[in-house]
Amino acid sequence: MASIDLTSVTVRDANERIRACGEKGEDVEILNPDARHHIGVGLVHPITVRVKGSAGYFCAGLSDGPRFVIDNNVGWGVADNMLGGSVVVNGNAGAIAGVAIRGAEVVIKGNMGSRAGQVMKAGTLLCAGNANFMAGYMMYGGRIVILGDSGDKVGQDMTGGSIYVAGKIQALGTDAKLIDLPAAEDDELRAFLDRYKIPFRAKFQKIVNAGKHLRYPRTEPRVRVIPFFIASGDQSYWNAKVQEDIHVKAEIGRYRIRGYGAARPVPHLSDLAFRKDMSRIPADPAMTEKVNLRTSIGGRSGAKPLALSMPVMIAPMSYGALSKSAKVALAHASRLSDISENTGEGGMSDEQREAASQLIYQCLSGRLGWNIHDMRRANGLEIYISQGAKPGLGGQLMAKKVTKEIARIRGIPEGIDLRSPSRHPDVLGADDLVIKVEEFREATGYRLPVSVKLGAGRVRDDIKIAYKDGFDFVELDGLQGSTGAAGNEVLEFVGIPTLSAIQEAIDALAEIGAAGQMPLVLMGGIKDGADAAKALALGAHAIGVGTGAILAGGCIACLQCHVGQCVVGIATQDPQHERRYNIPVEAQNIHRYLESIRWQLAALAHAHGYGDVHQFKRDDLVALTPEAAAITRLPYEPDLRQRDRAMLARAS
Amino acid sequence: MCGIAGILYKRGNTDAAVGKALIDMLDGCQHRGPDSTGFALYHDAEPGHFRLRFYIGEGKEAETTVAHIKDKLKEFQAETVREAREGCTYAVTVRFSGDLQKFAYDMEHVAKVFSIGASLDIVKDIGGAHDVDRTYHVEKFHGSHGIGHVRLATESDVAPDASHPFWATGFADVAIVHNGQITNYWKMRRRLEKRGFAFNTDNDSELIAVYLAEKLSQGRTLEEALRDSIADLDGTFSFLVSTKDEIGYAKDRLAAKPMVMFENDDMIAIASEEVSLNKLFPGQALNTLEPPPGTYRTWHR
Repeated sequence: MASIDLTSVTVRDANERIRACGEKGEDVEILNPDARHHIGVGLVHPITVRVKGSAGYFCAGLSDGPRFVIDNNVGWGVADNMLGGSVVVNGNAGAIAGVAIRGAEVVIKGNMGSRAGQVMKAGTLLCAGNANFMAGYMMYGGRIVILGDSGDKVGQDMTGGSIYVAGKIQALGTDAKLIDLPAAEDDELRAFLDRYKIPFRAKFQKIVNAGKHLRYPRTEPRVRVIPFFIASGDQSYWNAKVQEDIHVKAEIGRYRIRGYGAARPVPHLSDLAFRKDMSRIPADPAMTEKVNLRTSIGGRSGAKPLALSMPVMIAPMSYGALSKSAKVALAHASRLSDISENTGEGGMSDEQREAASQLIYQCLSGRLGWNIHDMRRANGLEIYISQGAKPGLGGQLMAKKVTKEIARIRGIPEGIDLRSPSRHPDVLGADDLVIKVEEFREATGYRLPVSVKLGAGRVRDDIKIAYKDGFDFVELDGLQGSTGAAGNEVLEFVGIPTLSAIQEAIDALAEIGAAGQMPLVLMGGIKDGADAAKALALGAHAIGVGTGAILAGGCIACLQCHVGQCVVGIATQDPQHERRYNIPVEAQNIHRYLESIRWQLAALAHAHGYGDVHQFKRDDLVALTPEAAAITRLPYEPDLRQRDRAMLARAS
Repeated sequence: MCGIAGILYKRGNTDAAVGKALIDMLDGCQHRGPDSTGFALYHDAEPGHFRLRFYIGEGKEAETTVAHIKDKLKEFQAETVREAREGCTYAVTVRFSGDLQKFAYDMEHVAKVFSIGASLDIVKDIGGAHDVDRTYHVEKFHGSHGIGHVRLATESDVAPDASHPFWATGFADVAIVHNGQITNYWKMRRRLEKRGFAFNTDNDSELIAVYLAEKLSQGRTLEEALRDSIADLDGTFSFLVSTKDEIGYAKDRLAAKPMVMFENDDMIAIASEEVSLNKLFPGQALNTLEPPPGTYRTWHR
């Protein structure tokens, strides 16, 4: 057995040694742990790790297979996301013990803190003492066994799984109910207790989900176009769109859910123009060769950065919202154009991993499809805080799309109207976020860049926090960003436009003396190379395309993504519909669209006399509208609109 | 967004190494707040004397500010007993008898007051626990109790005067450190302002301090004030409060912010994370307790 003393070895070095022992099959004991965080994270071998004292946050987190024994207490999030193996804690556990476990056995001999087992999917969490507030909060599966008292609001908004309580049930949470305990289950529980040598005699009460919140009572109807009267003059107030909206609401009695992003006009990159008159600069067929477009991103903390052939990424979109075929086509196109693809919520499929050369793996609040094995085969890790389409809300995946396969990869019950939690179980502030990011880095040996996805809301504050929390880069997503399903009012009216977002972000970094020190990837309504060049000139390091890539790949923009019956096979999980999607053809379409962005970026850089696409600067731009000028503080030069019109007229 | 720590020695021990203990505890959770660090320390009270600490900044402006402070002290017939310039602050001990609240509010017009009290001295600045110690010699401090804070600025500036602990403006010897966010801040602030209390920052932690001090001034015990605070304040919070004889904690009903405590016959130590408590007892497995949501408690020295 190897012995590691944390008075003389850092946790980082200790974790490397523990993993090396794992590969050799050698057990480990940790001396003088003194409640340090991240002990043993990222371990994927079935060795025994004995912690001789107390451990801090995320002990045994992001692991699969090992057996941990902790002599005393653990901090927040013991066994976070543990797939297999076991953890025995001989003292007390802090909040969110067993968070997001997917098969592990976690035994707490003392008491456990609040929100134990939050978003867990499978496995057993046993507490021999008392549980605290909201045990089993939003759990999707598995079982929680509490030998003492339940704490308040036990089983709050649980979706699946069971909670067994032997002591007093202080109060049931929302959408939880008590049912009779089958004798067979009682036997199983006692066998489990025997296995961990916990003497016990009392009776169990069983708590499960009551099922009242799992589904929307009425689903969205299919929209049919009904003619609306034609008024003489302006129809901006009552029109066919408003009519449709009222008809649908009259049927479902709630806010509408739809796909795509904000559809109302807001100030955008198209309200900016390049100052320089480029009409007389001859095109050079070899300019993509002459202008350097290569972009490295993610090396701020010493990790291996992503190496993009141009400052463009595919925006995160989930397998679930999109079909596997659509995700594979996007991944394939990203390889052809030598840029990065992003898993979005809901996990990584083998086919997607295979198809993409550089893949960012996203971690969301529900930890749906999140696991150590896919972390290890990713090229970058990303923590999702929010997205431009619906800042402050979690993902939505309507029942029709929660098929058996999607339920399996995400670890949730089949056929529910899935609403992902709006916040992470273990990130309730910037202080917690620091510790979470460190957990990702520890689990992957500091090899991978860790980024954060932020929907544009309080950008100025959020960017400063992201900088201090040490992220390698930020994906900043404006109001115009799209999604597979969200409430219409949220899509239209929550968040701030992409243009405002980038300006606030740049200002925020300058305010804390960190201008240019943390790359920003701007997304949300960026449709072509001209938008991309303007974003770079404003200070973005790269841009992301989501909607544009989907449109290139066959989307007809019917906005019915949430229904799950996408006729072109993109936003569906129905094999009948997905069969229509031709992966190689659509991958080529997306690739050609990406290449058009490359060509435009190079052409605009070349026309400015730049040898590198990152030479674009603020002074290259002017604002065409007073709103855009006010947002960006660029000079307001409406006359240039005439020049652009004249140029377009000449070109046509 | 921060880390907090507090310690109190029982059984009349007034010569414990409180400064060193707080430095160690805050150093242990510095990852929660790298921007600034602060300490609220309680010295022996001298009858008729008050300790004042002002934020004066640096350079020429600081000189002018000190001159203004001295003029103002004269105006209030506060006789200077000791004075010192430390870091970006000016510390002065005065003999004063009069309306302390009026005195404090008037002094605020001259310079930012970090603390006023018969015992209390708040030391806070940009940087880590050891950085602040180097300038203010916190390690030398011996006493019975104190609280401390490491800060990660989220919505306000990184500046010494935006750092914690916060003094309950106008109320001698009451200090607070807080981790979280009070969501009914403006409602509560307006309620207190209507009753004549002044606020000198937009920081929600100052509100908690004034809220508690106001309750104390009405004759409620610290324990009662903390009980009321859980009902009256909305949001996520774990905070520690200290007076010249006590420390106490309160934790919100959602248990969103961490807090761990360790108690034995000699002392009580409370921190955001157990790793800070272990700094006091290296190599030992401690029998700690995580306070349940919606709870509060106080300890007397």
